[in-house]
Amino acid sequence: MSSSEISGVREPQPDPLKEYRFSEDAIAEMEEIATHYPERKAACLPTLWIAQREYGGYLTPPAIQEVADRLGLSFSEVEGVATFYTMYNLRKRGRHHLEVCTCLTCAVLGAYDIVHKLEHELGIHLGGTTSDGEFTLSEAECLDFCGAATVMQVGDKYFTQLTENNVMELIDQLRGSPDYTPAKLADAIVKIHVPLSSQTGGGSSKPEDLLLPAGPML
Amino acid sequence: MGILNLLFANRDVLNIEDIDVYEKHGGYAGLRKAVGMERQAVVDDVKLSGLRGRGGAGFPTWIKWNGLPKNYDIPHYVICNADEGEPGTYKDRELMLKLAHTLVEGMIIAGYATSSIAGYVYIRGEYVEPAWQVRKAIDQAYKKGYLGKNILGIEGFNYDLHIHLGAGSYECGEESALMSSLMGERGNPRLKFPHAPLPTVSGVWQSPTLINNVETYCAATWILANGGEAYSKLGTERSKGTKIISVSGHVHKPANYEIEMGTPLMELLETAGGIKGGKLKAVIPGGSSVQIMTAEQCTKINLDYESCAANGTLLGSGGFMAFNDRTDIVLLMKRTAEFYMHESCGKCTPCREGTRWIFKIMDRITSGNGQTDDVALLLDVCSQIDGRSYCGLGDAAAWPIVGAIKAFPEEFDYWIKYKRSPVGKNAVPPTPEVVNPLLTLTPA
Ligand SMILES: Cc1cc2nc3c(=O)[nH]c(=O)nc-3n(C[C@H](O)[C@H](O)[C@H](O)COP(=O)(O)O)c2cc1C
Ligand code: SF4
Ligand code: FES
Repeated sequence: MSSSEISGVREPQPDPLKEYRFSEDAIAEMEEIATHYPERKAACLPTLWIAQREYGGYLTPPAIQEVADRLGLSFSEVEGVATFYTMYNLRKRGRHHLEVCTCLTCAVLGAYDIVHKLEHELGIHLGGTTSDGEFTLSEAECLDFCGAATVMQVGDKYFTQLTENNVMELIDQLRGSPDYTPAKLADAIVKIHVPLSSQTGGGSSKPEDLLLPAGPML
Repeated sequence: MGILNLLFANRDVLNIEDIDVYEKHGGYAGLRKAVGMERQAVVDDVKLSGLRGRGGAGFPTWIKWNGLPKNYDIPHYVICNADEGEPGTYKDRELMLKLAHTLVEGMIIAGYATSSIAGYVYIRGEYVEPAWQVRKAIDQAYKKGYLGKNILGIEGFNYDLHIHLGAGSYECGEESALMSSLMGERGNPRLKFPHAPLPTVSGVWQSPTLINNVETYCAATWILANGGEAYSKLGTERSKGTKIISVSGHVHKPANYEIEMGTPLMELLETAGGIKGGKLKAVIPGGSSVQIMTAEQCTKINLDYESCAANGTLLGSGGFMAFNDRTDIVLLMKRTAEFYMHESCGKCTPCREGTRWIFKIMDRITSGNGQTDDVALLLDVCSQIDGRSYCGLGDAAAWPIVGAIKAFPEEFDYWIKYKRSPVGKNAVPPTPEVVNPLLTLTPA
């Protein structure tokens, strides 16, 4: 009998077989971002964004494990962070994640009509995903562009001044676009952390493509 | 009084996002002037201006700038709070989109005045477009030598700016929670003064930290370029300068309006095109956390810190929401309660449990199950959250409910008595069809 069995303490287990998924470019991005802070731990949020991109738009337990290992943190510490923030997806989302703001201003300017219209047209309830995996529908808290109500966020873009009548046009447009928006959003957020001169070209889109024109302002 | 564009003076200049255009319109003159002065003189200029924090609390800015230790044995940091999350507010969004260089310049000035080594712009994750503009502005500023080593040829003035994006949490706008989030943790607030030192002594990474709102830094840029005295001549006795008000709701021309402090509320409403779809019923002048005002009260309020406080509300972050007479105040407050329930970080009991209770009571009233003593119960729950929670979110969840009960008691009574909206069929927001709204909150 080994001493650890007697004392009830388990010996450290060898790491389970791990299959890391961060590409070399992604690792370079992570290391660049980590230099911005006096402590490596502070890179936790941006590295989770990298993981969300590299793992296809949502964070699986192996994704969280990889972030923990690369930053020298424990799994539960990173899991705690990942579960706190609503923008980290813990489940797979549709190709377009429709987040309709139903907060105060949008609520009085017809946001619920839009939600009902979408529920009806897409045949899903809030929180659901269409069976073809194209759309996930959610309610969002104030997206802080209330002057352009009603606002909907899809990936890295805001769509504004939506009404019950024009929202389906937008849905048709989205159907035609080739993007996988949850990953595109994560990609844009990662790239914003990195100075353009140090961009390594990780991710699916070039930084130039992500440089959006200034959004429409009223 | 009325519209006065200081920060917005160059908002509509073509390509003002570009550093060359910005410089041509007087950009980085404030910084050049600042670095020609003693660090203390910069702080004194901000003091002279009378600038108060634009993030919500209206705390005198110079006290923070002055509060960082003058010696320099551990690094000092500057943080910009760009986690704009307060429902109704979208001024920081426009400032970053169009005037990112003004923000960058303000943060460099703050870095100089506080002998800091680095600054962080904490931007909410949803703000991808504004954040890109800040990214570009920072990169351009590095190229021109406004950031990096020995800035503007001043030996030893080394200062870096980084961007850190959030990931969807209103609570991270609270300054100590923001620091937790910046350090890579859950966005829970940290122990505060007087139980712990002020952030200016021990903030992020236990270092002296300056934290201000986007608009505050932009105003500092203007102040350094034009002098604190010029700024102090604007506004009222105790609320100096201008404030950007984000107008939304039932108005014809919703937009960000920069007004001189002390402008009558009704004047701004007129500038914004007046109420559409009916008569004015209520205004929330400073974001969802502040008390709602009836149309009659609105005529008495001027938009400055003192006048708002005297009328029982707050100027807050300047998220000005106007509502017409189709609006059902009780349903509106239910949605407000839902917001705070969703955003409560769960660290302390009064807020974590209380925000749920408020929502449940509001929900039962608006689904026709209101009890006769529900209003008293709401007031009781609110009184147990307000002042007893760990951070300001708890207070902010209680104030609007108490304010609405005070301003529109008859609407609550009507709902409880007749189990339907006092506004009638066309009320907004519409009475929800979903029976259990708890399910409508999307799980992560
Ligand atoms: C729940 C809560 C949310 C807040 N959200 C924000 C915010 O989104 N943006 C902001 O600038 N300040 C916010 N604040 C205020 C900050 O805590 C802090 O007062 C502000 O950043 C200080 O900057 P100032 O002195 O320039 O106003 C929030 C406060 C609380 C209690
Ligand atoms: S009041 Fe308490 S539970 Fe609410 S957000 Fe602050 S710390 Fe968290
Ligand atoms: S209420 Fe919808 S963006 Fe603010």
